[in-house]
Amino acid sequence: MTAMVTARIPAAATARALAGRADARPARWRRQLGAKLALLPLMAVVIVVYLGCMLWTVRLSFSSSKLLPVQDWAGLQQYGRLFANDRFLLSAINIGIFGVLFIGGCLVFGFLLAVFIDQRVRAEGVLRTVFLFPHAMSLVVTGLAWQWFLNPTLGLQKLVRDLGFADFTFDWIVNQQMVIYTLVIAGIWQASGLVMAILLAGLRGVDEDLWKAARVDGIPAWRAYLSIALPLIGPMVVTATVLLAVQVVKLYDLVVAMTRGGPGIASEVPAKFVMDHLFERNNIGLATAAATMMLVTVVAILAPWIYARYVRETGRRA
Amino acid sequence: MMAPMTADMPSGRRPRRIGIARIGVYAFLLSSAAFFLLPLWIMVTTSLKPMAEVWEGNILALPAQFTVEPWIRAWSEACTGLECNGISVGFWNSVRILIPSLVLSILAGAVNGYALSFWRVRGANLLFGILLAGAFIPYQVFLYPLVRLFSQAGIYNSLACIVIVHVVFGMPIMTLLFRNFYASLPVELFNAARIDGGGFWTIFTHVLLPMSTPIIVVATILQVTGIWNDFIFGLTFAGRENLPMTVQLNNIVNSTQGERAYNIDMAATILTALVPLAVYFLSGRWFVRGIAAGAVKG
Amino acid sequence: MRTFRLACLATAMLAAAPLTARAEMRAEVLHWWTSGGESAAVKVFADAFTEAGGTWVDSAIAGGQAARTAGINRIVGGNPPTAMQFNTGKQFDELVANGLLADLDAVAAEGKWQDVLPPALTEAITRDGKVYAIPVNIHGINWLWYNKKLFEEHGIAEPTSWADVAAAGEKLKAAGLIGLAQGGQPWQERSLFNAMLVGDGGTDLYYRIYRDGDQEAVRSDGFRKVAELFKQLQGLTDAGSPGRNWNDATAMVLTSKAGMQVIGDWAKGEFTAAGQVADQDYGCAIVGQGGYLMGGDVFVFPVVDGASSANETQATLAEVMFAPETQIAFNTIKGSVPSRLDVDVSGMDACAQKGAAALKDPARQVPTTDFLISPDLSGALDDVITQFWNNQGMTTDQFVEQFIGAMQAAG
Repeated sequence: MTAMVTARIPAAATARALAGRADARPARWRRQLGAKLALLPLMAVVIVVYLGCMLWTVRLSFSSSKLLPVQDWAGLQQYGRLFANDRFLLSAINIGIFGVLFIGGCLVFGFLLAVFIDQRVRAEGVLRTVFLFPHAMSLVVTGLAWQWFLNPTLGLQKLVRDLGFADFTFDWIVNQQMVIYTLVIAGIWQASGLVMAILLAGLRGVDEDLWKAARVDGIPAWRAYLSIALPLIGPMVVTATVLLAVQVVKLYDLVVAMTRGGPGIASEVPAKFVMDHLFERNNIGLATAAATMMLVTVVAILAPWIYARYVRETGRRA
Repeated sequence: MMAPMTADMPSGRRPRRIGIARIGVYAFLLSSAAFFLLPLWIMVTTSLKPMAEVWEGNILALPAQFTVEPWIRAWSEACTGLECNGISVGFWNSVRILIPSLVLSILAGAVNGYALSFWRVRGANLLFGILLAGAFIPYQVFLYPLVRLFSQAGIYNSLACIVIVHVVFGMPIMTLLFRNFYASLPVELFNAARIDGGGFWTIFTHVLLPMSTPIIVVATILQVTGIWNDFIFGLTFAGRENLPMTVQLNNIVNSTQGERAYNIDMAATILTALVPLAVYFLSGRWFVRGIAAGAVKG
Repeated sequence: MRTFRLACLATAMLAAAPLTARAEMRAEVLHWWTSGGESAAVKVFADAFTEAGGTWVDSAIAGGQAARTAGINRIVGGNPPTAMQFNTGKQFDELVANGLLADLDAVAAEGKWQDVLPPALTEAITRDGKVYAIPVNIHGINWLWYNKKLFEEHGIAEPTSWADVAAAGEKLKAAGLIGLAQGGQPWQERSLFNAMLVGDGGTDLYYRIYRDGDQEAVRSDGFRKVAELFKQLQGLTDAGSPGRNWNDATAMVLTSKAGMQVIGDWAKGEFTAAGQVADQDYGCAIVGQGGYLMGGDVFVFPVVDGASSANETQATLAEVMFAPETQIAFNTIKGSVPSRLDVDVSGMDACAQKGAAALKDPARQVPTTDFLISPDLSGALDDVITQFWNNQGMTTDQFVEQFIGAMQAAG
């Protein structure tokens, strides 16, 4: 990669030389030479790493690989086992619930934080850092802090009961029906600061004249944010959503740190299924089958959107 | 369309009066801050207690017997295997990994995003689609083939190897970030530069890069966090001499059968996070001024 | 050459004199011992190796899973460590099958490992008649730890059966305490279940299920009784148990919040850190018919430069790790007992002596499930056991059927 990056400098010189020519209408491919050269590293990475590794993963899901990858043929055996596995099916449901609440929660909360912090408040830098800090810390230990806080015998429930409210109950983390929501809470805590930062960067780019116009027209502030600013920062919202969606699909560390998938298997998630089988359970075949299913699901959800937005319109988004 | 700002000011509306609305704003922000700080409270108080007090299990209480020893031990004395030098050992390794990875991954993302959003290169968007889909696979699945790939290339277990890995795995999000940011800029800006005879790189370095400050700040926040906190890539690809700080942190907080000193765990975690935290705090100035400084009259 | 080297080594150890000049032995050792106590234990090995003229290069990575993955990746990537840790059992089967590990036959024969190791351990390190690993310790994983003060206050004697444990727990619970401190993570729940299975169900039943894969044994009354009592013990834990680390559960025992915990003998590290002493502040017992569930750690030696047998550095490392003095010193700190049964343990703590005594009786040497079943099956059974422990509505019948289902799927 380093070599590729430095290789861009001569490319830049060529492009500049080409651009500087008197010829006003060079051939289309030539005009694009700079862009094409610049995209070479991307192409190499996509083909070698992403496409290559994805195909490798799919291939292994049809093998009987255990600790080490082997290239034999086991047919659909791993998939048969996968779909007969209660834990994997429950994981799929859990990630659905988590995904909707987490993405929705982070976007709403993150947007609100960005808007409120945009009100020329004092100590903005401190507040922004406070909202972002969970992102900076290893989940192994912050997850433990959450586990303690939510634990009925250590944290909030105990605290409130010690204050004299003997009937107060907050035991979601040990309750199989509710445990997934504790992951949502900690997830929002961890990620909404980032959404705030992305949307704030967007808001700070909105033209000052628009705000002035809104004020002159007597539009209330909340409406100005919702109907003027929000549509303008649409691409930033998309970016934030994709970022959050990636975190949802890869959700693992938080679960391990807070619940270990429990109580029982109540808070298991697909990425943890993959990781457990990939490493601890020495079953690469089953792990890659699960990873393939995750990939297929993601592609099925993303494909129409990617197609509409990026492939069909060959150039800039309208 | 989004136009660059012309004033050296935040875009928010000016407060008209100090009244209920103002109180509401602060009430919301302060209660949110309390929510964010709650686990940190537990971590800080725990880190200032001797273990005898931690075992008692009053996690929210202030330390009865205040001690800073866990902090000293976490930084320079805690055992992480044969060595007992705390987490300070890997600090410079982490810095050495962070800086090239950060610069290269942001540069790659900016160039990709620019090429994808302003130049109609056939097939480029399909590549981008695959890249984006790839971002969703747990990267642990990629470890084996990558190890073999790098080992055949002869750079397995080196600083170059870990930097490449960070650039490669940062690429989907970095590209997306810049692509979507550039997509929201007025296309007239680009067309005008084209008519003036600007080539691919001239337009990028002279027109777009100067306007990219806010998104570079966001990209920096993302990448500093991701690269600094990375454990599994560093462990797998960096090699013994370049192991990042997080390996020491993991050795302190993640022992399976060993006794746990939670106070040291908490202190070590906070100490490790100081670099990204400093970046968050310092990046604040560019959240406001960067845009104005880079403003181009469109 | 070998004899000369050994003689040299022996002289060095006896006289503690510096070694004569020899080619440098540099050994990079990959392991997951990183806590304060564990670090001190590793130092014993490192010092012994240094004294034998070697240079110990430490690669510590916490978490068995992370360390093993890193090690295997390095083997695959062609940059292996000199030695790397595994849990005693089947985890490294495939590495042997693929010719990635060097054998230790010469060292094992010379050191007469077979004569001093429990037979199950010899079996666990042997593949196709060759020795591929050095067992460095035996962790008893079915220990019951109890708070002596609480037991005395409430007139409870050391339990000898799991029914006794349940009765003791009820008594403590009635007194407003927590009967059983349990870390609520699947591996700890499995540990408790297997402790009860070998204790009350008996060694035969245990072997029929885990070694022979006998599904009828799972349907037997013996198994069902254990399952029902297991569920009863769940009622003795507190509401905060799910997700808890074992260390937190131990803290509950040592601060007299809870009466008992069932966990491996590494728990002594936590008691020791709190300044408590075995047999004074806390008691330890192997409950039931007496089978001592042996877990532990081994080191394997990846092939270096294409040699299928251990090279000089690797052989020396194995030798010093297995030397009687190192074994005693290491295991005293680690909380385990020596893997070789011919050493004098009288200097070790009361619980270690109890464990070593149990191991003298071959009938009581029972390997953990890691020796007997694949990691895949072990994980699948974890999923079933943790559901049974945590799902209030799950019946013993369902448990039995799911247990058998896992055996069929992952068999």
